[in-house]
Amino acid sequence: MKRILQYIFFIMLISASTVSFGQEEKSDEIKNLSDKISYIMPGNSKFLLRGYAHSGLEYVPDSKMTFVGGAFNPLFIYRQSDRLLFEAELETSFEEDKFDVGLEYANMSYIITKTMTLRLGKIFVPFGIFVDRLHPAWINKFPNTPLGFGHDGVLPGTDLGIEIRGGAYAGNLKYNYSFYVVNGPQLNTGEDHADDAGKLDYGIAFDNGFNKSFGTRIGLLPFSNSSLEVGFSAMIGNVGARGTEYEKVGSQLYAVDLTYVKTLNFMQSMLDVRAQASWVNVDDADYPVPDDPGQVYTFTNKSNTFFGQVSIRPAYVSAKFIKNLEFAVRYSDLNTPEGAMWETNTERWDYSLNYWIDWRTVIKFSYQSQSGGDHNEDAGEDAAGSGNAFFLHWAIGF
Amino acid sequence: MKERLIFFIGVVVAVTIVLLAAGCSATSNVAANRSGAQLWGENCVRCHNAPTPATLSDWEWEVAVSHMRLRANLTELESEKIVEFLKSVN
Ligand code: HEC
Repeated sequence: MKRILQYIFFIMLISASTVSFGQEEKSDEIKNLSDKISYIMPGNSKFLLRGYAHSGLEYVPDSKMTFVGGAFNPLFIYRQSDRLLFEAELETSFEEDKFDVGLEYANMSYIITKTMTLRLGKIFVPFGIFVDRLHPAWINKFPNTPLGFGHDGVLPGTDLGIEIRGGAYAGNLKYNYSFYVVNGPQLNTGEDHADDAGKLDYGIAFDNGFNKSFGTRIGLLPFSNSSLEVGFSAMIGNVGARGTEYEKVGSQLYAVDLTYVKTLNFMQSMLDVRAQASWVNVDDADYPVPDDPGQVYTFTNKSNTFFGQVSIRPAYVSAKFIKNLEFAVRYSDLNTPEGAMWETNTERWDYSLNYWIDWRTVIKFSYQSQSGGDHNEDAGEDAAGSGNAFFLHWAIGF
Repeated sequence: MKERLIFFIGVVVAVTIVLLAAGCSATSNVAANRSGAQLWGENCVRCHNAPTPATLSDWEWEVAVSHMRLRANLTELESEKIVEFLKSVN
């Protein structure tokens, strides 16, 4: 009997020691794993490198067929704390015969309250919806910008300044707001290119005087599911250089925009509607007549531009190929002042059949038909002037 | 000049309305009664396609949603709920 007890005791001792040995082994393993995890986990300061790239093929009947684009835009996002964020995007492209680098935006945001953020640096001017929301090639449903936008358009893109922005509720009405002060546009007096006299130049890194441009955009989302947003934007400021006869020339810009994004259950589709109407008014001024230095001319310096687009994607049907297809159509026009050397009344229709490889990779088969504009640059950065053009465009966001 | 004046008054009125409204309520039942999934489905499709949760890891979503909170003018509650949802299904 004693023997048996001794034997049982002996077995218990061995099994206890192996269990504790096993436990030690397990806790070593856990420690190892947690070491490995903390090795790769970021600290309080977190950094993401994302961005997008795109290029395409352009065919203009009787004129050209060429691969275009070759753009790569790296985006750097640093989240320094719950309240502090820095974002910067470079714009690199292959143009003509050289590599081109630009700073798209670079700014710091500090979250002041649950509904208010302060932003400092190079920002997208929150004027309407196209520039800060839709222009990245993987978001834009077309290969080009609407008329009036882009590097040679009549509307603001990015600028240096300070912005207060945020979103909040008034009862059940959701709204968002932005108030900003930026260097603002500058009046082109035709010194370098007589043809451009009276145009506004945007995105210049220094101001030409003490007058800043002030602006606001208020967005209202009347439905609780956020499907509809209507926005009102305005920007005001003097645009003439200090110490010149143009010093007092002011500018007033207004825009109204609309966004409607809704699932249409009966069509198993996603409907996406967007529009923006913008007006650019610049006070009258006298500009020198080219080749006749003593003479001046003037005109009523008012421009306007509009775009409206509708797209539909049968995202909820079961057939994989069909659910990735999207059809989009856009109308845009641009009217610049009568009597200006850059006068134009241009209209354009864009049609695009898009295939989405994933949520931010797309191949666009597009057709554009433009009438009126003979100034290539008036039509925006990628446009092909008056007439028709076909595009095959691919874009990837990452 | 008259136009500028009207414009200026318009801006001031708009600012006043917004500030008054912001003073009234910072949060609302609309966001409080919605799940993170619902807020993601409604808000994250307003500019681009719905971002697939599997795209990013937990901490990457924290950065991306902070970024989008500013871009899309979301409130703190909305962005917190959306991050929690994305982290739970990625
Ligand atoms: C107001 C428009 C808008 C809304 C609403 C929006 N996004 Fe975005 N999103 C953008 C734009 C514009 C970019 C491209 C940023 C760039 O390249 O400058 C982007 C980029 C992204 C990216 C790529 C990485 C990055 O941070 O840029 C992710 C991920 C993303 N969005 C997720 C979301 C999620 C999640 C939501 C919902 C909370 C959302 N987005 C809502 C406009 C929006």
